[in-house]
Amino acid sequence: MSDLVEVKPADEFENGDREFVDVGGVEVGVLQVEDEFYALQNYCLHDGGPVCSGKTHRKLLGEFKEPGKRVDKSYSEDECVISCPWHGWSYDIESGDHLANDDISLPTYEVVVEDGVVYVGGQKN
Amino acid sequence: MSQADTESRRQEDLDAYHVIDCDCHYMESFHDVAEYMEEPWKTKFEGGNFDEKGAKQNLSSFFPFSTGDRQAHGKITREHSSYPDSPETPERIREGMESIGVDETLLISHLILAGAGTIADDTRQSAFAKAYVEYMSEEVLDPDDGIHGLAPIPYYDVDASMEILDRIEDRDEYVGACFVTAGATPPLGNRKYDPIYERCEDMDLAAVFHTGGAGLDEYVRGGYEEMLETHTLGFLESNMSQIVSLVVQGVPEKFPDLDISFMESGVTYLPGLMTRLDEEYLKRPEEAPLLEKKPGEYITDFYYGTQPLEISADPEYLEKCIDMVGADQLMFASDYPHWDYDRPTTVMDLPFLSEEEVEMVLSKNAQEVFGL
Repeated sequence: MSDLVEVKPADEFENGDREFVDVGGVEVGVLQVEDEFYALQNYCLHDGGPVCSGKTHRKLLGEFKEPGKRVDKSYSEDECVISCPWHGWSYDIESGDHLANDDISLPTYEVVVEDGVVYVGGQKN
Repeated sequence: MSQADTESRRQEDLDAYHVIDCDCHYMESFHDVAEYMEEPWKTKFEGGNFDEKGAKQNLSSFFPFSTGDRQAHGKITREHSSYPDSPETPERIREGMESIGVDETLLISHLILAGAGTIADDTRQSAFAKAYVEYMSEEVLDPDDGIHGLAPIPYYDVDASMEILDRIEDRDEYVGACFVTAGATPPLGNRKYDPIYERCEDMDLAAVFHTGGAGLDEYVRGGYEEMLETHTLGFLESNMSQIVSLVVQGVPEKFPDLDISFMESGVTYLPGLMTRLDEEYLKRPEEAPLLEKKPGEYITDFYYGTQPLEISADPEYLEKCIDMVGADQLMFASDYPHWDYDRPTTVMDLPFLSEEEVEMVLSKNAQEVFGL
């Protein structure tokens, strides 16, 4: 338990809620999105914006079907993105990878629920 | 820690420099400006149902008259500005400046950015520009507190432009004249605009050319589908077309003491433009008989706002581009609160600039150009 940082009871979270905790000197945002918990560094890799206070949304995918036809665009059924409100840099909420360049990856953190309480663990990526 | 700490992000870095922002947008409302309009525009505008709606672009997000939604459909928000939902207030301007680390700011009208494309009726822009100048003087600008203004020039109507310059001649709050580059036809090197430049030069008033708020699709070519396309291309096209026109038609030779600056297209487009224009000039210099040196050398006499600085580019390439333009010709610009604004950190973090060059870009060059 010593490596875990307590956030708050899980039943006090609702979808869309965000909490912010200090994990080893790093400001980390903890979010509940579509009933899942995520924790990411709350400091955008572009210019330090508060990325975890930004909009979350399904990833928009495009599929080329055949020449001359419109690219089929649809929202992913499971992949979710979080976007920094300052300039719109967007990251996969699970992996932290930048939507446009996966060489850029926002640090993500383990989220553990024990005895009904949400904790943040170590960095994942 | 109960909420995101948005107030202290690199605040120490930002506090370490005096920063002048050469391109900040004041979100005036038609409603506020209408009070200062002359008739018949005052009556028309006051009855125009604009109310206090600010710069909201909801309709254009769906049926775009410039491709796409600037806030990227809700991804981008502004904590310290009323944009785009409501008109700005002087108090919020200061709040925005503080949030991004700016000490002095030059305000440019938001609404006029789309006006230059309205070429069918030049009195419309003149009526707006005259009222805007009065409104800002009366209610917003405060040079003692670092809130300076750029007067929009309705250049299609030279007489009205001269009247605006007459009005602001003795007003300390105006430090420059602003020409919107998007849609200017004929381009701004045409001789018809000479009296305006001559007057600015006589007044020691900087000429600031600001690219348009609208996209390429409105002025050059229809059919693009995304703002990523039109904003990337349109802002460059609008500035490039006027840079070439000014240089080739000899404006810097006609008015050698006029300080000319261009805003809001970053810096990497300039070396490409300079080298192409120089290459063609070597083959047909007789078409630009006023020039005493290569066109590219006039281009590097102009000043440039830094935003949107291409900070993700290969550092060696960006260094070469900035070296070709010259750090002594660059002035920090935020474009706040627009979607692609820059903080002064973009300049501070350039690894190849000396400390002296950082200070030049963040404030000293602007102090010289605008007499601050």
